[in-house]
Amino acid sequence: MSETGANHKFAFYLGCIAPNRYPGVESASIKAMKKLGVELVPLKGASCCPAPGAFGSIDLSVFYAMAARNLVLAEQMKMDIALVCNGCYKSIWEVNHKLKHNKDLRDAVNEVLKEVDMEYKGTINVYHTAELLYNDKFIGVDKVRDSVTNPLTGARIAVHYGCHLTKPHKDREFEKDVMLNTEHPVWMEELVAALGATPVEYRNKMQCCGAGGGVRGYDIVHSLDITNEKLINLEDVKVDALTDICPFCQLQFDRGQIEIEEKFGVKHSIPVLHFAELLGLAQGMSPQDLGLDLHGISCESFLQKVL
Amino acid sequence: MVRTKGYPEALEKKLHDQRYYREDSNPDFTKNVKAISRTIAHMCYQCGTCTGSCPSAPRSTYRIRKFMRRAVLGLENEALTDPDLWLCTTCYSCTDRCPRDIAPTDVIMAMRNLAFKRDIIPVNFLKTVQSIYKTGHGVPNNDVNRAAREKLGLTRDPPTTHMYPEYIPGIQKIIDHYKLKANADRIVKEREG
Repeated sequence: MSETGANHKFAFYLGCIAPNRYPGVESASIKAMKKLGVELVPLKGASCCPAPGAFGSIDLSVFYAMAARNLVLAEQMKMDIALVCNGCYKSIWEVNHKLKHNKDLRDAVNEVLKEVDMEYKGTINVYHTAELLYNDKFIGVDKVRDSVTNPLTGARIAVHYGCHLTKPHKDREFEKDVMLNTEHPVWMEELVAALGATPVEYRNKMQCCGAGGGVRGYDIVHSLDITNEKLINLEDVKVDALTDICPFCQLQFDRGQIEIEEKFGVKHSIPVLHFAELLGLAQGMSPQDLGLDLHGISCESFLQKVL
Repeated sequence: MVRTKGYPEALEKKLHDQRYYREDSNPDFTKNVKAISRTIAHMCYQCGTCTGSCPSAPRSTYRIRKFMRRAVLGLENEALTDPDLWLCTTCYSCTDRCPRDIAPTDVIMAMRNLAFKRDIIPVNFLKTVQSIYKTGHGVPNNDVNRAAREKLGLTRDPPTTHMYPEYIPGIQKIIDHYKLKANADRIVKEREG
């Protein structure tokens, strides 16, 4: 136990979309994780991870160096990183992993970092908060269940896993083997059930949200068509909300529903909440504390069910 | 150009007769794709599991299997000038399912890197670079969000480069090392005037 009473302490890597579009994800993560014995400390001066699709497509060498800079900031704090976004996980975890295992990449990156008086040493690990919640070495499903004061009873909630936390599973090194199942995982559903809600399965659950790889910026109609397919599958099973663990997916499903109505004339109104926001609600945080009013799609119908 | 392995003469002849060699094939392209992607692209046997797993395939002419073939055959121009190159959402479903343990997604990423070297790149990608260079963020903060953050008890700007802009020159130095910002500015200006 540290002085603050937390069992575990992590440098909190924020990324871009959580703090700058869905700040409720940031505040809910800090508060909810604290209740579970995990302290998230600001990672001062962090930048964009950088975006694995948009930035990595241009020049992977710069991508490695930029991600390494964020890693070095945490190394200097002597803390492992926790983050809330699959895209950030792809950049930060994967570059950490690649640099640890490939001397040629590490040398090339350090050559550049030298210019800014930094050196990547490979001394820390990177975790997604969903992984911390699921892995009982840190928190675990039972502890999550015990922290619930406002069970989300009666709510039908579907999970969007997104891509970059678990795929490609051949490269990933989760301690919990079930997280390596990328065809039909159910570990997030276990977490949803721990909040008292009813997890709902739907067709093609593991399909991408459509936003990644720079496609949202390159061809928005193509990108939204992928999203629309998932939304139709979700309508089919009548969900009260969709939960995600990636703010970029959240943006694509949430703001995307407005864009889909504009561009395709198809209206969906499925509330989309990051799992941190759901957890916050279940632990008794108010919708105002979570900034749910900032969402593009109103969460009102869902809130009426659970509050 | 065709490599054969000392098979009997009749078979050698037959192998040469197949259209394995094309005038516009560049063997260096195959090597460069392999070096950047760090995956065994040349092991592809064209089963099509990748295209079958692809969320972009059903709604476009993008076929990842075709790009894999182009990687093997060294069809550089054909691969890099095809606008479908930019329709991969990098979901890694193909990589997860590839029976040859290849990462087709990383092949696409390598081809995009090689395309950029020839100034072939959609502008939205470059704008992300410009934004990160200026603010440290690909999606920067705005006033509506600052007010919302304050209501949530957070700092108006997150404790990133937004709150500590003194970290931005370091980021610019890293990006400038690769002349990425200069190239991005030049291409955006050429396209948009």
